[in-house]
Amino acid sequence: MVFDAIKKLIVEFNDSDPDAITLETTFKDLGIDSLDTAELLINLEETVGKEIELDEEVTTVGDLVAFVEKKLKE
Amino acid sequence: MLKSKLCQLLGIEYPIIQGGMAHVADGKLAAAVSAGGGLGLIGAGNAPGDWVREQIRVAASLTDKPFGVNIMLLSPFVKEVAQVVAEEKVRVVTTGAGNPSRYMESWKAAGIFVIPVVPSVSMTKLVVRAGADAVIAEGGESGGHVGELTTMVLVPQVCDVAGVPVIAAGGIADGRGLAAAFMLGACAAQIGTRFLSAYECGIHPLYKEKILAATDIATITTGKRLGHPVRSLKSPFSRAFYKAEYSDMSDEDLEAMGVGALALAVREGDWQRGSFLAGQSAGMVKKEQPAAEIIREICEEAEPLLKGAGAWVE
Ligand SMILES: Cc1cc2nc3c(=O)[nH]c(=O)nc-3n(C[C@H](O)[C@H](O)[C@H](O)COP(=O)(O)O)c2cc1C
Repeated sequence: MVFDAIKKLIVEFNDSDPDAITLETTFKDLGIDSLDTAELLINLEETVGKEIELDEEVTTVGDLVAFVEKKLKE
Repeated sequence: MLKSKLCQLLGIEYPIIQGGMAHVADGKLAAAVSAGGGLGLIGAGNAPGDWVREQIRVAASLTDKPFGVNIMLLSPFVKEVAQVVAEEKVRVVTTGAGNPSRYMESWKAAGIFVIPVVPSVSMTKLVVRAGADAVIAEGGESGGHVGELTTMVLVPQVCDVAGVPVIAAGGIADGRGLAAAFMLGACAAQIGTRFLSAYECGIHPLYKEKILAATDIATITTGKRLGHPVRSLKSPFSRAFYKAEYSDMSDEDLEAMGVGALALAVREGDWQRGSFLAGQSAGMVKKEQPAAEIIREICEEAEPLLKGAGAWVE
């Protein structure tokens, strides 16, 4: 669920090919830098309806998915 | 006399912050700026906690006016520096390169006024939510690490969402720039490049010479490929870096090429191998002066401009 939401946001964000986005894909490969991540996060909060304080380094899409899933359980 | 919310909040006379420049802004420069009525910052850069503590004490011995520390969040010593500023109860902390949320609680407990540098609207939202007391909207005209947006477009958009005082940075070097910053919605300016020419700024004389000789097109940004572009004077080093960036050199090797280059510029004045960080406003920096005079001059120039703004309206 979270993965799909993040994937959708990334595709909307920079027209990435959805089939090319896996849990292992890095944000760098997607051309997404830390500023873009901040914007993605704000958009993601709107989707999941909860504030997410990103206080860890995330390198891959999977890292972000795991982080958000953890936060949603808290 | 300029009126600004930031002056009221911090108890300073002039709405001018001297950027906390790594390797450049030590306790002496920060104290000179604060004694001159602005807000001086010590640039912690990649320095260890002990150095920062020493500089805080140097500044405190030279002035009883408020001053602050800039903390680079990617520094290997960020944790200890974050603790030092809390222990020393520094009045103001500004942060660069990220979101300082994890330190916010301890800084707030120490009574510190926290001002993160923000390069975008989303980052503004995140840091304000984390408890920022004000934000510095820094445009890509500035020297050092730069974002993509210009001051002209970033400042008003940050003002629209911040809900806390906004300080404009990037490209401001005289009263016209300060007055424009107010018009964009900011309540103060952070200035880096112009303070490189201050008497109390201890950079190598050749660095100062190059700043004073710089023209409008004297700077270049490099390192975009690495995700953290830097603006510096065009020099043998920055030109070589620029070339390497568009060659097949690996990211690791490119990254390694930049290590230590700023220190070579600041301490040795090594024109061949040093990285002489400077903003586009270097072309507007014409002479070496005391920091206090720089501050006064900028504010005295801004005042009549702001008073005269009514001339545009019928
Ligand atoms: C030599 C130099 C080093 C800098 N180092 C830092 C730094 O370590 N941390 C930071 O937040 N900003 C740093 N900056 C940016 C300044 O704090 C300030 O925001 C910027 O210089 C403002 O733009 P201006 O250069 O056009 O005045 C640096 C700038 C220069 C010129």
